Amino acid sequence: MEILQAMMDRTNYIGAAILFVIGLYTVLTHPNLLKKVIGINIMETAVFLLMVSEGYIAGGSSPILGLTKEQATTVHVNPLPTAMILTGIVVAVSITAYSLSLIIKIYEAYGTIELDEIMELRSEQTNG
Amino acid sequence: MKASSEIRSSKGFGDYFSINCVFVFVAATLFLSMFVAMTLPSVESGIVGLMAIVGTKLVNFFISLESLPVLIILVSLIGGPIEAFIGRKSEGLRDFAVVDNNFITFIMILAMYPKVASGSIAYRIEGLFGYGLSFNVDMLSFIMAITAGILWFLVSIYAHDYMEIEAHRNRFYLWKTVTFGGVLGTVMAGDMLTMFLFFELMTFSSYMLVAHNQSNESILAGDSYIYMGVVGGLCILLGIVLVAAYTNTLEFVPLAAELAELGWVKYLITILFATGFGIKAGMLPLHIWLPKAHPVAPTPASALLSGILIKIGAYGILRVATTLFVPALEDISGYADPLWEVSQKLGALIIWMGIITMVVGVFMALQQSNMKKMLAYHSISQMGYIIMGIGVASYLGYRGSMGFSGSIYHMINHAFFKALLFMAVGLVYLRTHELDMYKLGGLWRKMPFTAFVTIIAILGITGMPGFNGFASKSILHHAIIEAYEYGHYSFKYAEILFTIVSAGTVCSFIKLFGYVFLGDCPEKYRDIEGEKPMMDMAMGGLALLIIFIGQSPNYILDRFIIPATRNLTYDPAFIDKYIVDMNFFNNHDVVSMVWVYILGIVIFIIGKKYDLFHLHLPTWLSCENTIYRPLYKGVRGLSESITKEYEEKIIKSDTIIYTVFLTGILVFFMRFI
Amino acid sequence: MDSMQFPLYILLLLVMAAVIVPILMKEFDRKSKVMILGTLAIAWGMSLYILVGVLQSGAYLYDIGNWGAKIGIQFNIDEFSAFMSFFIVSLTILIVIYSIKDIEHEIYRKQIAGYYSLVFLLLMGMLGITFTNDLFNTYVFMEILAITSCAIISIKRKKENYMAAFRYLILNTLGSLSFLFGLALLYMVTGYLNMGEVYNTISDVWQLYPRNILLALGLMLTGLGIKAAIFPLHIWLPDAHSSAPTPSSALLSSLVVKVYIFTLIKVLYRVLGEEVITGLGVSTYLGYLAAIGMIMGSVFAIGQKDIKRMLAYSSVAQIGYIILGVSLTSTQGLSAALFHVTSHGLMKTALFLSAGSIIYYKGKRDIRELNGIGYEMPITMAVFTIAALGMIGIPGTNGFMSKWYLSFAVLEAGQPFYLVVILISSFLNAMYYLPIIINAFFKQGIDNKEKEVSNSSESMFVTEEILDNKQEMNVEGLPKLMLIPMSIIASLSIILGFFPQLVMNIIELAVNTFL
Repeated sequence: MEILQAMMDRTNYIGAAILFVIGLYTVLTHPNLLKKVIGINIMETAVFLLMVSEGYIAGGSSPILGLTKEQATTVHVNPLPTAMILTGIVVAVSITAYSLSLIIKIYEAYGTIELDEIMELRSEQTNG
Repeated sequence: MKASSEIRSSKGFGDYFSINCVFVFVAATLFLSMFVAMTLPSVESGIVGLMAIVGTKLVNFFISLESLPVLIILVSLIGGPIEAFIGRKSEGLRDFAVVDNNFITFIMILAMYPKVASGSIAYRIEGLFGYGLSFNVDMLSFIMAITAGILWFLVSIYAHDYMEIEAHRNRFYLWKTVTFGGVLGTVMAGDMLTMFLFFELMTFSSYMLVAHNQSNESILAGDSYIYMGVVGGLCILLGIVLVAAYTNTLEFVPLAAELAELGWVKYLITILFATGFGIKAGMLPLHIWLPKAHPVAPTPASALLSGILIKIGAYGILRVATTLFVPALEDISGYADPLWEVSQKLGALIIWMGIITMVVGVFMALQQSNMKKMLAYHSISQMGYIIMGIGVASYLGYRGSMGFSGSIYHMINHAFFKALLFMAVGLVYLRTHELDMYKLGGLWRKMPFTAFVTIIAILGITGMPGFNGFASKSILHHAIIEAYEYGHYSFKYAEILFTIVSAGTVCSFIKLFGYVFLGDCPEKYRDIEGEKPMMDMAMGGLALLIIFIGQSPNYILDRFIIPATRNLTYDPAFIDKYIVDMNFFNNHDVVSMVWVYILGIVIFIIGKKYDLFHLHLPTWLSCENTIYRPLYKGVRGLSESITKEYEEKIIKSDTIIYTVFLTGILVFFMRFI
Repeated sequence: MDSMQFPLYILLLLVMAAVIVPILMKEFDRKSKVMILGTLAIAWGMSLYILVGVLQSGAYLYDIGNWGAKIGIQFNIDEFSAFMSFFIVSLTILIVIYSIKDIEHEIYRKQIAGYYSLVFLLLMGMLGITFTNDLFNTYVFMEILAITSCAIISIKRKKENYMAAFRYLILNTLGSLSFLFGLALLYMVTGYLNMGEVYNTISDVWQLYPRNILLALGLMLTGLGIKAAIFPLHIWLPDAHSSAPTPSSALLSSLVVKVYIFTLIKVLYRVLGEEVITGLGVSTYLGYLAAIGMIMGSVFAIGQKDIKRMLAYSSVAQIGYIILGVSLTSTQGLSAALFHVTSHGLMKTALFLSAGSIIYYKGKRDIRELNGIGYEMPITMAVFTIAALGMIGIPGTNGFMSKWYLSFAVLEAGQPFYLVVILISSFLNAMYYLPIIINAFFKQGIDNKEKEVSNSSESMFVTEEILDNKQEMNVEGLPKLMLIPMSIIASLSIILGFFPQLVMNIIELAVNTFL
């Protein structure tokens, strides 16, 4: 029971770990480049989830100036992870954008976005 | 060839070169005789006395220079590029500069003598390489340096005419002079790091000489030279690092006391040094580069390679064996001190290495028809003598001075007669373009002077009393006898082998002289041109030296070698008793030489009768084919197949490797929880 | 102007330049070249000023915007970051000078402005990582670096480049994510992102949450391992470095990888501390990986036929040397590692630039086709030879000194086994560098041979002589802007080979900030 309780308290962390593994699994098993990028995105989400949950304090209010008396409580949620995750999201988006544009270029060059087919094409090129 | 000589003479300087050479040669002779006069114990009146006074005055000028060793090296290292630069303008002027450059170096080396005689010249350049370079010229260094100086000077004179048949002359002279710098640096180095630096410089610059003519054969020879050179360098470096890390010094100081505590590491160090320097010295089974490299190099380079470069390997072993692995003079209690242990084991190993080198070298030499190849194998064989001497020196420890002096003496002598032999063969090649001795004959009519100096060199190398080889061979003979008298009885067999090898040498050179200079001259060579005056002059210089040393063998021994011996940890009483004022021309030694000659002639007759000089040995016998080539091919082939097999696979499985690695590292950390 | 602010100014200058340069640059003309080099020169001046300042008046911590260490970003300007940033900027300038001529050959003209913009951002990322004392900030700079370094590969419009860049990007992102994951786990238990603060609290936290810290360490090491190309994770390196345009290869191989190694050193020594990593056995296993990398990198290099790919694998081996030095957890080991960072930076740049010149001039990439190239391009091959001899460890070059220092460090740490590895690795280096040099200078190329055959044998000597003279007198047909940087780098590596103390003195100060 205790274990269950401990798990219930840490749902977010466990969720983050599971998401990370799912993402990694996607990157690992799918030869499709697009799916690899999606996998990477899932992994990113996992890390963001973990980080944001770290900053959360049960019953804490958002750390914003000028809250009314009822809204404000004595404890505030830690704003720093949230701020960092904003940066992280920006980074993630730019990487996704860049990788998508690369995929387009790869498609133009090879005519496919399946990794194993591309590798075959390349080895044919080097051998032939 | 005609075309090229026309080009040269049209550039002027062709004739001036000869004049310059003659002038410088005479000057060098004069300086050398002044030097001899100076070093004689009692200054007689008359011309010798006058020479001594002039010489002393001249030397005093140089003595005031503290940094003389560095200057000497710099003259070569800077001179090389300058020569190449001049050579782009005028070939004649360059050869001029080469000879003069080497002449200046030679004079400067001579000028070091007074200081060396009264101690040693030490000089440090701080800051370089993090530790500073240090130079220390003692008598041993001086002997090597002066031999190198003489040889380089004469070879430069010789090279002018010979190099007409080679291309890329600027490059040749550049690297020849740089190699000189490397050699001088190696012998004058004051600590191991400095020695190693110059040793590597020498390896790489002499590579350029070996691979000079760019034919496939010379590139292959160069390949084995450079790869073995790199391995040798790495071995030495490893040895130095081990010594420095465990004893905290890079100096050449007796370290036996510190090393004794090291256990197996000390044997590793000895083996590393022996391998590293042994490669350069052509010690078996590390010799395979030598018979390939010496024949393909241009003759002046072969003369230098055989004359000096391989000696540097021997010098390295000698330096290391007689300084690092011996106890300090004040530490020891006598002949049986346990501190001699390393030195003794190292010595026993080296003696047998030397003996094997000698035997195999001479045996292979007898099988050769290519003259340069034969001389190269004789170099191996003669290096065997020297290595054996070094072995005795460290085997007998406190009493090893006989082996020590013998090996140094033989280094000097071998440098002179082997260089002379190569030069003579080079001249024959220049005129006939033929290296196979069986296809030549009767050349003494065409080249009487060459034939004459060849005889002198042959008498030297075979050890005829009255020529230089006799003195050093006798000392080495004494040394090996001492080894079994004071040491293990098995060295008795070594002594027998020693005699047989000497006889084999005699036989081999009877063959060489007989086939090349005697007999009928083939039709082809009836109207070849004869001597070249400048080349003859260079060869004549060496021949004079051989005779001079041969006539008064005690001069070099007393003036140079014994002082060198006294600097080291050897029993002074022993030196006084056996080596000082040694009587070379005693009954026993001379008679034993006669037996050697008789045996040599017998071998020649038997060999000729039963056609033993053309044995085709099975290929597996050559350790090149059984060890080195498969090793090299194996490493390369293995790498290529690994690359072919796995490179693509690794790249394909990129994320898998990441996942495995991550999981692995996390699982690994589990054990800490 | 307050010199305290200089580190930030450099970064701002580079960001501004990255934006402004493409706007102002219509044509790749003299003006824009001056602008690019001018910006870099100012950055160089500032980094030199920082270095001198630090050496004279000591290290300092710089809080951006005066926020405290708990929430703000902090730069740690000490001997290490000052020297390494100076080194990075200097080498970048030399590579950029070279690139001005070379890049026109490799990419489309209209992309040149974008290329320099990327180089500025890349430089900013590298300097940021070197300066910063904040873990999350490191992550951000790492991502900037990741995108820009992939972009300077894919800017060359070739099939292989796209694939190489994509693979690099995926692995880079995996690496960054692992790093971020680890960082989040560390933050969870320590509450700090500042390296110094984390280090102060980590020993207390270790008692309470060892799992978090171990997990974090594992993830961070894997992430940095990918980026620093430690042996089994080097997968992306050969493709990326060999297909990139030459200046990019030089930047990536000699600098970018090193910057990640700096982060690794910082994480190991500044965040976790020496006791933790030796206690966990990290250093031991890192040493094993390094040894395997030293051998296997060379083995793969021997099997290559493309010269740039061979150089890339050689980098894998050389990174092994650096990691070996890092793993010894001793002052000597770390100094040797940092010294090798500088020497490998110089040598690899020289090698890549000279290989690039050969490709530029002759269009040949295959090692077997380089016979006789030494006569056509003497200066380039001289540079190549010097650097290659350095890689083998021939005295007189800085490569020898790094091996020398590393050997002593290994012995001092009591692990003579690694000495043998260094020896074998050096010999393997010789096996793939020497044939190139020998063939370049001693074998004749196919073109030359044909020439000679056409001449009659009688006049052989004459023609040889004329040919000789021509070849020697003729300065090779490379632009001076390409030759000068190469020659400077080659002479620098010789100078450092003779006077290693110039760098070693500063590095010894820098190492003291870690241990």
